Amino acid sequence: MGFTIKKGILYILLIILAATCLLPFTLMIVNATRSGAEISSSFTFIPGTHLKENWDILFGYFNLFRGMFNSVLVAVPATLLGAYFSALTAYGLAMYKFKGNKVIFGAILTFMMIPGQLSLIGFYQLCTKLHLVNSYIPLIVPAIAAPGTVFFLRQYILSSLSPSLVEAARIDGSPEIYTFHKIALPIISPAMATMGIMGFIGNWNNYLLPMIILNKNEKFTLPVMMATLRASIDAARNQGATYLAVAISVIPILLVFCFFSRYIISSISAGAVKE
Amino acid sequence: MKLKKLMAISLVGAMAASMVGCAGSSDGKTGAGNGTGTENSGEAVASNGEKLVVWTLASDLKQFAERYTEQTGTEVETVVIEPGDYPTKVQTALMGGETEPDIIVGEPQMLEDFYDNGFFADLDELGAKDYEGQIVDYVWKVGQDADGVQRAISYQITPAGIYYRRDIATEVFGTDDPEEIGKYFADYGTILDTANTLKDAGYRIFASDSEINYFSGDSAWVVDGALNVSQARLDYMDLVISLYQDDLTAYANQWSTPWYQAMSGEVPILTAEIQNYEDDSVNVWDAEAFEEATADLEKTTVFAFGLPSWGVLTMRDNVGETSGKWGVCQGPAYGFGGGTYIGISSLSERKELAWDFIKFCTLNEETADWWIETSEGDTVSLISALDKHKDDENAVYGGEKLYSFWLEQAEGIDYSKVTKYDKVIGDAWGQAIGAIKTGQATKEEALNTFYDTIESTYPDITVTR
Repeated sequence: MGFTIKKGILYILLIILAATCLLPFTLMIVNATRSGAEISSSFTFIPGTHLKENWDILFGYFNLFRGMFNSVLVAVPATLLGAYFSALTAYGLAMYKFKGNKVIFGAILTFMMIPGQLSLIGFYQLCTKLHLVNSYIPLIVPAIAAPGTVFFLRQYILSSLSPSLVEAARIDGSPEIYTFHKIALPIISPAMATMGIMGFIGNWNNYLLPMIILNKNEKFTLPVMMATLRASIDAARNQGATYLAVAISVIPILLVFCFFSRYIISSISAGAVKE
Repeated sequence: MKLKKLMAISLVGAMAASMVGCAGSSDGKTGAGNGTGTENSGEAVASNGEKLVVWTLASDLKQFAERYTEQTGTEVETVVIEPGDYPTKVQTALMGGETEPDIIVGEPQMLEDFYDNGFFADLDELGAKDYEGQIVDYVWKVGQDADGVQRAISYQITPAGIYYRRDIATEVFGTDDPEEIGKYFADYGTILDTANTLKDAGYRIFASDSEINYFSGDSAWVVDGALNVSQARLDYMDLVISLYQDDLTAYANQWSTPWYQAMSGEVPILTAEIQNYEDDSVNVWDAEAFEEATADLEKTTVFAFGLPSWGVLTMRDNVGETSGKWGVCQGPAYGFGGGTYIGISSLSERKELAWDFIKFCTLNEETADWWIETSEGDTVSLISALDKHKDDENAVYGGEKLYSFWLEQAEGIDYSKVTKYDKVIGDAWGQAIGAIKTGQATKEEALNTFYDTIESTYPDITVTR
């Protein structure tokens, strides 16, 4: 009996928590179906009737799916490359003892603290010289160097990947890179999934750099495209369309989250080494 | 095992995808934009072999560009950038030596920086001098840098006016004539009397106390390198404080829900605490909760709003049933707010063509006619077009002839009173007023903070307390 009550209270609390989390999302979706004037004058959870209208306004300004495609083209490779190479770096820093290891790690930590905005003009100049303005390369390739991810993964490897596992692989004659792929990657996959999700969200929402680097309407990524809605004289009237754009644009993030969050839970290294 | 395969496949996929993406960008259709302009004869070039690139923060220009293409056959690529990030984008690109944009634009508060950094090309070299006098004077002056060189021109004028309710005016003052009503807004002291008269009659003069902000610039903030706090500034301060402390407004915040609602009819009179968010029992952003929470509050109808000429459109969209009952009259001073100024990037390689585009947007009477019609009431800067439309009547404003009114207001603007310090000093002044009216600081304290702020922000300006 006492157990049921406890459980009941827990459930109620969890439902409240879930409702609180879902409320803004609901509001966003509801607002996507209302006109700008309605949005600025009132607030409700009852869907409006302007979905079609908002859709037409939105697509009158630009093709949202084009922006989505562009964003996928940037965010997916950037995330995968970032996750893979960070794992490689972190593995090297954590597993091998060599001269300068500490220095390199220190340098990575230091770079974590420098905001990217500082080098914006220089970076743009570099891109102009390399003829990379208007291409996605400057958005994808630098994502390989992700100091934050390296730091996180290194700590994770130190705590969860026992060196004995790697030694065992070595004794069995496994080449180093093969060991990394076969032994290390599966064990650190939960951490990589975590960083992957964060990286994907970061890349998907990245605004400043694409805004600076891309000069063509048809190359704009989603956030840059959506921001241009605010440039119209009747920005207030376009609020409904803006909500619709945001509502559509979070779908991929939700998908990625659903897909990768499975890996976060499934840590498999438990009991791999007998102490 | 599975994960490894997945990783491998997706990595390959990613590489391939990025390769395709990059390949698509390094050659083909974007080649012309990518390169240094000399190779602009690629396939992207239009029928007559020329192409313009416009970077803008107002999507208006997109319509201008489409019309330009229709009429001349020159392809125009318009890239719209979010207004808040526009300066960053232009600054990074032009400092990085980008030659792609031919046309760049700016709002008045950005222009000074753009001039100082040399982003705008010299329009006088292209013949802008010949057109002097065809554009409303203040707009022409805003487009000039410190040395008087023409750098940008706007297609709009944005003088400020007082939008008032004609029916209330007739009831309280016995007339709804803009000339006569303008007299009730002639100076800050008179506005205070007007506000009291209206309060006694059961109305409120303004919805918020920021309505006269656009009319506060009757003297320059900086004269000969010294901070100039004129008597008018102090009077303005006193007026805002009185409006607030004597319950003369409806305590709405500009651009909040009740502020918009006040355009269409009765609104509850809020309290100072609600306006400051000290009392959060009333959510001013939520109409239904707002109605419930304010059901017991006394209601009133707001008499006037102070907005630049683009307010014509804002009001039109929000007045609802009071459409036709509005009028526009002169405020206590001349002022203006906003406007998009078009110029040529100093790194552009197609300056002649770009100049042609600017002439098309700003100096072409036919374009101005078309824009007046398309924008449904925006006010253009070309004097001949304003003259031509001077008898146009606007039904929302009781058939008032707005174009001649705005021209008159714009001619009164004395641009020599505008300095590049205005934004920062104006904000600091607004903060001082805010602190005094809410009782956070005494007048003396607030003024001292104001002087301190100016001294530390602009060490070059002499501040005499």
